[in-house]
Amino acid sequence: MKIKEIVSILDAEVLTGDSYLDREIEEFAVCDLLSDVLALSKDHFLLLTGLTTQQVVRTAEIAGGIGVVFVRGKTPEPGAIGMARSHNIPLLMTSMSTFEACRAIIEDINKKEKK
Amino acid sequence: MTILHSREKLTLANELIYEIKVKDAMTRNVIYFSQDATFREIQLSLKKNKISGAPILDENKNIVGMVSIDNVITALDEGYVNDKVKYYMTKEVITIPQSYSLVSAIKKFEYYKFGRLPVTKNARTAEIAGILTMGDILNCLLISIQTIAEKVEKKEDQNTQLSEKMIRQGKKKNLQFEVKKADFDNAGQVASMIRNYLKKLNIDKQILRRVAIVCYEAEMNISIHSLGGHITVEVEESKIAITATDYGPGIPDIEEAMRPGYTTASEQIRALGFGAGMGLPNIKKCADHLELESSMETGTILKATIHSGG
Repeated sequence: MKIKEIVSILDAEVLTGDSYLDREIEEFAVCDLLSDVLALSKDHFLLLTGLTTQQVVRTAEIAGGIGVVFVRGKTPEPGAIGMARSHNIPLLMTSMSTFEACRAIIEDINKKEKK
Repeated sequence: MTILHSREKLTLANELIYEIKVKDAMTRNVIYFSQDATFREIQLSLKKNKISGAPILDENKNIVGMVSIDNVITALDEGYVNDKVKYYMTKEVITIPQSYSLVSAIKKFEYYKFGRLPVTKNARTAEIAGILTMGDILNCLLISIQTIAEKVEKKEDQNTQLSEKMIRQGKKKNLQFEVKKADFDNAGQVASMIRNYLKKLNIDKQILRRVAIVCYEAEMNISIHSLGGHITVEVEESKIAITATDYGPGIPDIEEAMRPGYTTASEQIRALGFGAGMGLPNIKKCADHLELESSMETGTILKATIHSGG
């Protein structure tokens, strides 16, 4: 699944990184604990989180994430946007809750598998 | 960048309106009229400059009145449009000194419902320094927020360039980086630079990831728990060795510290998403070999080795 598909599934606003939405997502990470992000065993993941600090982007970058989705319409700190721009990591914002967002993504995956 | 440290309920914009002063947001090029200007002149000038009001100044640039488009309309209505403004202008002018913070200005805008506020040089004089509208405030806030983002972006770009420079200089052996105490905004910077450095050396992606995570966790540990320290990375043929050394105060019980979930981190750290007691266990998971020595006198030395296969 590509990041741009997530944009439409989650009705998400792209805060930065419009040109990197063609990246292929290999794994989803849903964490509000950055240590958990670092404990993931795969890279090329899309991170869904309720945290909005600069460190979220830093953590995604270190662990090899390819994008971050902020849930519940939370806006990240300005520093997070700056960091994402420097490391070419797209940032998305959705008004859905973490649960709703996950459900929407899973429903989409299931729909595609049936076809 | 103290703003980013506090995790209180204040939002960024809230903090900025206390931090930014009126003089930083106001327009300095003020369009004004003399007391002898007629309403007709004022009407034409307001139209030309696309503004809805302006201060009236005396010959010493002191604010003596305000005139708005509403006053002009009334003058047209009641047939005194060719009269001088001094007979009809608002004389009790609400002003704000330029050294006040934006929050005071916003309060005045809310209370008086004015579109613009003349700014004085200081609280004791009526001499004009500029003019402020809610649009100016909004503009200034947007720029400030943008500047914060740009600062971080620039710094990150510089770090990337720095690691590229190290490659060009052929600095292969000991890369040493300092890690400061409680510098959470910059925490991860070392790991990021090392990651970029190794990437340029064409090191396997999974190895790269493990090295970066070990560095990041070690960096966070130094930043959160110690008085500061440094991280050294040695890239050899078949392995990458990471050494994190700090100046104390040391880990009282290493076995306990290695237990997943054990933490001594503060609420502030937890609010950042760290301090879950997974740092050391995570380092252990990523490293092929881990040595941890700690003394309450000299501090802690962590040595992690990752085989790079080559």
